[in-house]
Amino acid sequence: MNPASDALIRLDGVTKTFGSTTALKNASLQVSRGEIVVLLGLSGSGKSTLLRHLDGLEVPTSGDIEVLGAKVPTLKGKALRRLRSRVGFIFQQFELVPSLTVLENVLTGSLSEVSGPRLGLWGYSKAAKLRALGHLDRVGLLDRAYQRSDTLSGGQQQRVAIARALMQKPDILLADEPVASLDPESSDQVMALIREIAADEGLTVVCSLHQVDLAISWADRIVGLRHGEVVLDTPTSDLTKAEVMEIYGRVATTTAEITAVQAELIEIAADVAIESGGTGDPEVDSEGATASAELDRARVS
Amino acid sequence: MTLLADASRAAAAAEAASVAGRAPRRPISPERIAAGLTLLALVVLGILAVNEVGISIPAMIQSWGNAENFMARVGGLTFPDPGDLAWLIALTVGLVLVGTLLAAVLSVPIAYLAASNTTPGNGWRAAARFVGVLTRALPDVVLAMAFVLMFSLGTLPGILAIGIHSIGMISKMFADAIEQIDEGPRLAIRAAGGSKMQEFASGILPQVLPSWVATVLHRNDINLRGSVVLGYVGVAGLGLEMSYAFKALNYGKGLGIALVIFILCVVMEIVSSMVRGAMLGQQKHTRSWIDRIIHPRLGDRASDAGSTSPAWAASPQAAVRRPWTAERVRNTVGVVIAVLVVIGSVIVSQINWMDFFTFWAKLPEVAAKFWPPSFGSYDASAMFAAMRDTVAIALAATVLTLLPSLILGSLAASNVAPNSGARGVARFLLVGIRGIPELILAIVLVVITGLGAQAGVIALAIGGIGLLGKLIADSFEEVDRGPERALRAVGATRLQTYTSATVPQGMQALIGHSFYMLDTNIRAATILGIVGGGGVGYYLLNASQGSRYETVTAIVLMILATVLIVEGLAMWMRKVFR
Repeated sequence: MNPASDALIRLDGVTKTFGSTTALKNASLQVSRGEIVVLLGLSGSGKSTLLRHLDGLEVPTSGDIEVLGAKVPTLKGKALRRLRSRVGFIFQQFELVPSLTVLENVLTGSLSEVSGPRLGLWGYSKAAKLRALGHLDRVGLLDRAYQRSDTLSGGQQQRVAIARALMQKPDILLADEPVASLDPESSDQVMALIREIAADEGLTVVCSLHQVDLAISWADRIVGLRHGEVVLDTPTSDLTKAEVMEIYGRVATTTAEITAVQAELIEIAADVAIESGGTGDPEVDSEGATASAELDRARVS
Repeated sequence: MTLLADASRAAAAAEAASVAGRAPRRPISPERIAAGLTLLALVVLGILAVNEVGISIPAMIQSWGNAENFMARVGGLTFPDPGDLAWLIALTVGLVLVGTLLAAVLSVPIAYLAASNTTPGNGWRAAARFVGVLTRALPDVVLAMAFVLMFSLGTLPGILAIGIHSIGMISKMFADAIEQIDEGPRLAIRAAGGSKMQEFASGILPQVLPSWVATVLHRNDINLRGSVVLGYVGVAGLGLEMSYAFKALNYGKGLGIALVIFILCVVMEIVSSMVRGAMLGQQKHTRSWIDRIIHPRLGDRASDAGSTSPAWAASPQAAVRRPWTAERVRNTVGVVIAVLVVIGSVIVSQINWMDFFTFWAKLPEVAAKFWPPSFGSYDASAMFAAMRDTVAIALAATVLTLLPSLILGSLAASNVAPNSGARGVARFLLVGIRGIPELILAIVLVVITGLGAQAGVIALAIGGIGLLGKLIADSFEEVDRGPERALRAVGATRLQTYTSATVPQGMQALIGHSFYMLDTNIRAATILGIVGGGGVGYYLLNASQGSRYETVTAIVLMILATVLIVEGLAMWMRKVFR
């Protein structure tokens, strides 16, 4: 079967400019059903903008976007809301309503199923409440249901946000740097939860990340972005971290980017050195040296 | 060694010079300069106005004799019968509350249209803002004068006057609150497929509700003080009784009622700040003893949601019924009390609902009386001079208010006050000052200093400290605490932290509030004219008492134009100094 025909998400030559800055430059991408794709790039590379286009939160300056068979830029009003209800969105800053209870926050995920505004818990049906509580149970926060959401820790808030997205019964889950505001332990929990839920529900996931090791351990496929351009699109199975970093090195062009990549490289080198029982000195490690050399070449070009 | 140090110092200096060479020049925006000069000009004009009014302490001491004579004439304070008094208090509070609530309800759609992040279009936004400015510029006394003509005497003219005039401030504060929300939760609801209305109800409303309630309570306090003036034009309640007493030269009774009003205002102020504290309690970082009384369980909430999960959380089925925690009981009791108070207020104000039907029949006839505007028997240049006097009074009062407000307001902010004692004293002073209705202050001052602008300026300046000081305290408490912590970590003193972290963050609000003060003072200066405080208000009262309504319209239009100019200036300043 032609893989393209199975694509749930299709971007074709999408360009987006905000005033004089170009956030996306002729970006094309296809994601098939059940795939887990990570958008990898430094901050400002256009990952968030790309994700927001998939949910109709941004309208492209030019290009076509098709999600779940609908041409997103042409959608308006009810049709747009129907598409959004089938696409769950996880934000870096969780974006829960701080003064509402955890349960009410999860219930807001079902707003597209009802018409008219809802004030307070009594506005939702018992069935909806049961479903929301079930999702809370699944993310392990049932006992927090009636607490204000701003009394939870960051990791817990992100789990509530996942429950809210599940409340939409989505086909696609978009996640914009879901763990960038979390500590490593909560990050692992949240990523594991997303992975597990995606497998159980057969969700298609597009997730933006900037940590290379997380991306490798987590994605089926990595799409690299730089200055709004897709510069890399490859399955993860045959990639090692050093290889990705090599590419990452090529991706970086400005001084700040190179510094960031260099820091990562030294870290990898140290890791490898420790694993291989080495001295821990990055200079003597061959893999680190290769990557550094690669970086130097990138800087020259 | 020294050679080496010298060399490195020279190198550092050379590098610094080259950095200075490479650094971009600080951009100079002509608009910023113009705005700064305007601000300076206003302050200078204000100081000149203070001079012109000729406030002098010796003169005031000299006229102290007048006050003694007056007090001798008063004899002792007398009060109405306890039963009558209780009824008058209930009536006054009830009608003010209903009026404020009416304004709050009407303000919601206006604020939605006026807020930059919710408005459907710039046309709607401009229209909504215009409604806000217009209602704010129309003094409630003037509205009441018009409504008294259309409705029978009683509470309805007062309720409508308060209800319409308060839209101006409430809708503006509501809109500001909407503009300050965190857009994220709202975006999340949009991303989940929610409609505009759902975005508002679930994403915006929960975020703005505490601030909205605080605004309504705050306005309610202002309206209670303003209700005194409404009595002078025939609205039922304590104000009307007081005006009767003064007209009958029964000073003892008049001042007795004034004292009752003062106490009522202070009590209301304390009640509303307690309610506000309880509503904002969850976000508080500091805890005064008052906070501890209002929400004693705040501290141990985090710990009681501990590791063992409660019985109701065993399964989703069991959890569907919300458990009656202490917090939920407290919230429910609060809501029930609020509903009962509102129902009680509607009953007590004895609204004559039939008026709403007869009103339409009278409307064309009454409207015709107010149109076309004309100065009538007054000389136009004399009217403009009177308006100029009113603006001068307002400017002088605002300038006099600024410094004391900044000091008291800063001391009252929890993140600036050196200790809770100083903060308590500052808050107490602000509440006390705010409790004094300006009209009563002005009446007393007129007695002491004689008729004229002096009484008006002092009354407004003192009254302004209460309002501006409070607004300053609130906006200083709202600044991001991060920069303050950072400066303290750098080793800055308390004063340095204040000037480098707190004030710069609160500066925009400070300028905004000062212009709001000027705007309030222009309208208040008008009203004070009614009791002999000088300016255009005197002519306004004369015109309305002489039933020359077309002159009332002309004067109101003049005030309106002035307030609109100030409003325009304020908008510009906020835009430039953001």
